[in-house]
Amino acid sequence: SCSRAKDVTMPAKLPVNFFSTRSPVIDLFRGQLDYADQLRQDSEIVLYFFYAPWCGQSIAAREEIERVARRLSDQVLFVAVNCWWNQGKCRKQKHFFYFPVIHLYHRSFGPIEYKGPMSAVYIEKFVRRVMTPLLYISSRSKLLDFLSNYEPGVVGFFEFNASPQPPGYLTFFTSALHSLKKDYLGTIRFGVVTDKRVAEEISLVHSGSVYLHRHANTSLIYPKDVMNFTAENIYKWALENREMLIRWLRPHGGKSLLLNNELKKGPALLIFIPYNPLAEIHPLLDEITKVALEYHKCNKSQAAEADLQHLGDSDSPAFDSSVTDAHLKFSETFPIAKYPCCNTVVLPQWHSISRTHNVCELCVNQTLGVKPNKVHVPHCNFLDIEAALDSFYLQEHTFFQVISNTIECSNFLSFYSPFSYYTACCRTVNRHFLSFISSEKTIFQTPKVAFSSHGKKDNTQFSIPHIEDRNCFIPDLNISSTNITGLSCRTNKTLNLYLLDSNLFWIYAERLGASRSTHLKEFAAIVDLKEEVHYVLDQNQSLVGPALENFIKNFSVLYSPLKRHLVDDPSVHFHEEHVVTEVTTNTFHKTVFLSAKNVLLLYYAQWCGFCASLNHIFIQLARLLPPDSFTVARIDVTRNDLPWEFMTDRLPTILLFPHQRKEQSVKFPEDFSVNLPNLLKFILHHSSSSSSEPCTKECLHKESVLQQGHISHLEREIQKLRSEISALHQAHDQLEAQLFEARREEQRLQQQKHTLEKQHKTLQIHSEQLQATYDQKNQELLEMAEKLQELADASENLLKENALLRILVASRGGKLQSKDEIKEPLQSEQTLSEDNDISLSTATAASEEKRIDNIDAIETEHSTGNRTE
Amino acid sequence: AAMQRFLGPLLCLWALRLPAGTGAAARGLDVASYRERVRAMFYHAYEHYLESAFPYDELRPLTCDGQDTWGSFSLTLIDALDTLLILGNVSEFQRVVNVLQEGVDFDIDVNASVFETNIRVVGGLLSAHLLSRKAGVEVEAGWPCSGPLLRMAEEAARKLLPAFQTPTGMPYGTVNLLHGVNPGETPVTCTAGIGTFIVEFATLSHLTGDPVFEDVARKALKALWKNRSDIGLVGNHIDVITAKWVAQDAGIGAGVDSYFEYLVKGAILLQDKELMSMFLEYNKAIKNYTKFDDWYLWVQMYKGTVSMPVFQSLEAYWPGLQSLIGDVDNAMRTFLNYYTVWKQFGGLPEFYNIPQGYTVDKREGYPLRPELIESAMYLYRATRDPTLLELGRDAVESIEKISKVDCGFATIKDLRDHRLDNRMESFFLAETVKYLYLLFDPDNFIHNDGSDFDVVVTPYGECVLNAGGYIFNTEAHPIDPAALHCCRKRREEQWEVEDLMREFYSRKKTKKFTLKRPPDHGQEEDAKDPKDASSEKAGERRNSKKSSHSLLSCPSQSFNSKLAVLGQVFLDNT
Repeated sequence: SCSRAKDVTMPAKLPVNFFSTRSPVIDLFRGQLDYADQLRQDSEIVLYFFYAPWCGQSIAAREEIERVARRLSDQVLFVAVNCWWNQGKCRKQKHFFYFPVIHLYHRSFGPIEYKGPMSAVYIEKFVRRVMTPLLYISSRSKLLDFLSNYEPGVVGFFEFNASPQPPGYLTFFTSALHSLKKDYLGTIRFGVVTDKRVAEEISLVHSGSVYLHRHANTSLIYPKDVMNFTAENIYKWALENREMLIRWLRPHGGKSLLLNNELKKGPALLIFIPYNPLAEIHPLLDEITKVALEYHKCNKSQAAEADLQHLGDSDSPAFDSSVTDAHLKFSETFPIAKYPCCNTVVLPQWHSISRTHNVCELCVNQTLGVKPNKVHVPHCNFLDIEAALDSFYLQEHTFFQVISNTIECSNFLSFYSPFSYYTACCRTVNRHFLSFISSEKTIFQTPKVAFSSHGKKDNTQFSIPHIEDRNCFIPDLNISSTNITGLSCRTNKTLNLYLLDSNLFWIYAERLGASRSTHLKEFAAIVDLKEEVHYVLDQNQSLVGPALENFIKNFSVLYSPLKRHLVDDPSVHFHEEHVVTEVTTNTFHKTVFLSAKNVLLLYYAQWCGFCASLNHIFIQLARLLPPDSFTVARIDVTRNDLPWEFMTDRLPTILLFPHQRKEQSVKFPEDFSVNLPNLLKFILHHSSSSSSEPCTKECLHKESVLQQGHISHLEREIQKLRSEISALHQAHDQLEAQLFEARREEQRLQQQKHTLEKQHKTLQIHSEQLQATYDQKNQELLEMAEKLQELADASENLLKENALLRILVASRGGKLQSKDEIKEPLQSEQTLSEDNDISLSTATAASEEKRIDNIDAIETEHSTGNRTE
Repeated sequence: AAMQRFLGPLLCLWALRLPAGTGAAARGLDVASYRERVRAMFYHAYEHYLESAFPYDELRPLTCDGQDTWGSFSLTLIDALDTLLILGNVSEFQRVVNVLQEGVDFDIDVNASVFETNIRVVGGLLSAHLLSRKAGVEVEAGWPCSGPLLRMAEEAARKLLPAFQTPTGMPYGTVNLLHGVNPGETPVTCTAGIGTFIVEFATLSHLTGDPVFEDVARKALKALWKNRSDIGLVGNHIDVITAKWVAQDAGIGAGVDSYFEYLVKGAILLQDKELMSMFLEYNKAIKNYTKFDDWYLWVQMYKGTVSMPVFQSLEAYWPGLQSLIGDVDNAMRTFLNYYTVWKQFGGLPEFYNIPQGYTVDKREGYPLRPELIESAMYLYRATRDPTLLELGRDAVESIEKISKVDCGFATIKDLRDHRLDNRMESFFLAETVKYLYLLFDPDNFIHNDGSDFDVVVTPYGECVLNAGGYIFNTEAHPIDPAALHCCRKRREEQWEVEDLMREFYSRKKTKKFTLKRPPDHGQEEDAKDPKDASSEKAGERRNSKKSSHSLLSCPSQSFNSKLAVLGQVFLDNT
């Protein structure tokens, strides 16, 4: 019966409802994909939620989807499909590597996969984007709103006149959907203008033209002549040419190199703000955008300045049809200033400029025909800077004004390349330096103030009107504090700006040292992966524009006043009663340097196996050493940053900071095994204080303190020995008890042996008796045998007699034969019938036996019973 | 001040404590509720085992009865014992200790796997012995160096010793508990079956004082080391008589896994550089030949050519092991790969074909193995990355939804359709549930970082115990490294420490002595203390090996590890 259970298996449980029946989400829990497709006909917008019932992420997302569905159920059809059940159509047709998968359809367009955060607000925002991929821009103010956003915007102009749909509109619409498909964060926004007058604001005159707005670089118009006007092309063009002054980082949770790739581009300013994608206004974000725009404004504003002048000279109106033509003509090789590269140059003493200034920041501003989608290189190529320096020295006359404590900037043309010009900003760095930093206004002046004519000359070679001059007219973006304007191109420490939603990614802020206690989840940090440092904006300041600007400026200046931020473990509280003192970043200095004790410090990490297995040794050591002259401490360096000079690259590391020369710490040699005797020897060797001093009163006092310590140590030892003795006693008692037990056992065994012996004896007697009876019986048997023999003899005699009698009878018989002839046949018949009876009965018995055997072995008892019967 | 704690009702209160994890809160994962769900899982399985299967080895959850699988030791009960304590159930722990003492007999005519008996029975009994004081069991005066559970563990281990009597010192795979190695027993043993003894056997030797266990375990390890290929890899199966490799697939998974694990854990437990240097050599070869895109494949042990591009469920322990030696970045990268497989199926198939992205024929099952969860627990200690809690969440949801039946939790026979099999392996309660619970209970005593400890007075002196740093054997039975020190090492060191302390207090008087010390620490040690054999050896080793850093150390984490959470990985700067 056992063998069968081994093969028992059970099919998976039948699928059940995943969403409640009252939910606005239609739950196709049997994976009816065909039905799901049918449902799509009924609604303009459909959201499919493909799930697996066992999947934790699906379960977590269920609630969020339901929340979105409740808000949008009148406009969007929500369909959940169990795509795991192996009998269902969905499982058979689709092959997903993860769950849940969310697909959206806008009529027949789709699927658009949603890959953003599994949070209701983000999903809703995305669904809304799918519902209305194009924003209708009805007025000038709306256009300005649309364009002032930090995320790139694409505007199409379509005149809805006679025909129901102007040509190209559908393509543009599809392109907007297409962009959602590719760029699930929806960074590129699509808008449509139908009013000719509004369109003119961005110099669009022909219905069907498409415009990509850029803040720091020239805006572009879709080159219809060069590229086919297809949905995919428009999107690709926008993606390639968009400008990312400030970017959202939204790690999707799976394995990704996002931060690796972004942070390796150079120092990054990460700004954490709580973000609700559904909110109408984002004041904080607007403020940050302003800062970002200012920061990146450099090239454009130079260009803008030049353009304005040019336009003024020629007296021509800004927007006419030639503008677009010009754009189209140069769409492939449009002169867009590459991000410049800058280097700081310290001027040699002999140089004439050095009388007034000694440090210059030299930037190379190339205006070659660069494709707009080129990635910028943050560092200057050596040759560029060499060339710039040469040109710079020849232009030194520009700096002959003798004004100290200010910065002067100048642009000058390269002597090697007609398409490059350089910007040099020089100043004096001296004892007044600190005052420089505090008075920001004097440090940075916008380049446009000090532009020399060389820059202008350069630009006139490409006298093309730049449309985004308009920027300057947008009131929101007007410059209030101009001092970081264009800073990104004047420094060799250019920052990339990133936004993170602190509702989702606060953990990164915590990792960088954001306080865990704040309710306001706002935080800013500059991370420099290459230098392995990060700086944090003081969390007591609220995150507003000026604070951010200061932060950026302080980072950018030559001798940055920012201090490397050291992350501290806030969960550690100082426990007086802890044998081993737990040190953190904040308590490091106090515990190690300010205390008047020898400090033995263990660097450890909780995860490191080699550290954790030493815990007991350090506890023992701390209990041994006199607490008034020794501190045994440790620091978890995973959670506590230390100044560079105290960092260590291996764990565990043991350092001793001797009492009188804390600065001369010694390291426990790594090749020795860490055990109590070795540690004690190490301490003994290095902690010995200056001994040659003559024994004064003080020394005597010390001596007595030491002896006191020794006495208390010995007392402790005695205490220990006492407890050891008591433990020994206990063990002794235990042993005694066991011994007693054993003795009793032995006794019991002895008794048992006795009884057994007795039993043995009786058994022996018994066996003797049996032997006797056996003999007796044997005797009797022999006698019996004899008697039988006698009987046999007697019977033999009788047989003989019998035989004689037979002969006698036979002889007599012959005589009587004739007389008995009639009687004989009757007798023989009788004997025959008797024989038959016997054989019949044996046959039936045999057959019965067989039948019983057949039934079961268990019933053998019965059958033997039958047989005996 | 010493923290001499007597745990009893205290332990039960721990469960009520709120989670410390802050990262999880950001992603809305309720750690406490998941912890309670894991607890409920444990009792659902455990109570049905007691009810329907005890005293058999395992519960059969579909038929609601029991069967003997690895012997006849009430295996599930032994294996689940320390999980009871980790869940805080002191009274049941005490009851089971009594049941085992009376009920389990190793004098039985049973052919048992040497490997499985060691890791499950010996390991389970050892950890139960070491934890019994914490669980409020009244221990005898000689504890932790003596005790009934220790004697049982020793008895079980002695039954395994005959298997080690081979010309190579590598053990047979199977032994009869009553008669020793059966005549005609196959001499082919898998690598893990040879190299997975040092943790239990060294613990036994240190606690009991009988060196035989540690000696045989070391001899077997050295035999494997000697027989590695020229490119530094070991195969899957070897003939223990002739030392010829029978299966020459080299990888980190089935058949080899716990050999590497025990080299590291043995090195940590015994502070043994030799074991660590062996592992580091293997690690180099493994990285060179088997690692592709953070996956580890199977290669031919002599040529290094890829033989199977599969990921095995058993390999998922590797990230956890890496985190123990400080290779956290690589560990996390590999872990994230493995996690995608879980997301695809709701479990890890025994074999997963990496290029095809699907299961391998006949290897689609998931017997509720713990390895990925184990790695998540170790990595969570190191990174506090909420992604790891998400794996825990996924595991709880999957196991509850897929494999929970009326009588327990059933092995998933096929991950493609989630058909169930009539088995619940004992490691489900010993490991899977334990690691899950520990993942969701960052304040568990097992995670003690050394801020708490117990002082125990033994007849041999005073010991500091339970100071954290528990080493889990490959069946998730924790061993306290301090206990190993307590029974033998401490006694050896005692008098030396005493002398040094005396010197400590009198150093002002005997200034000459301290001043005379030569500046070099090693020389001074040898000169001053010739009787101290161990330090001499250390000096020798130091001279022979001029490594830049100690083998028994971890690299500290890089700057970018601060941001390496929520799936973000960083490439090496080199």
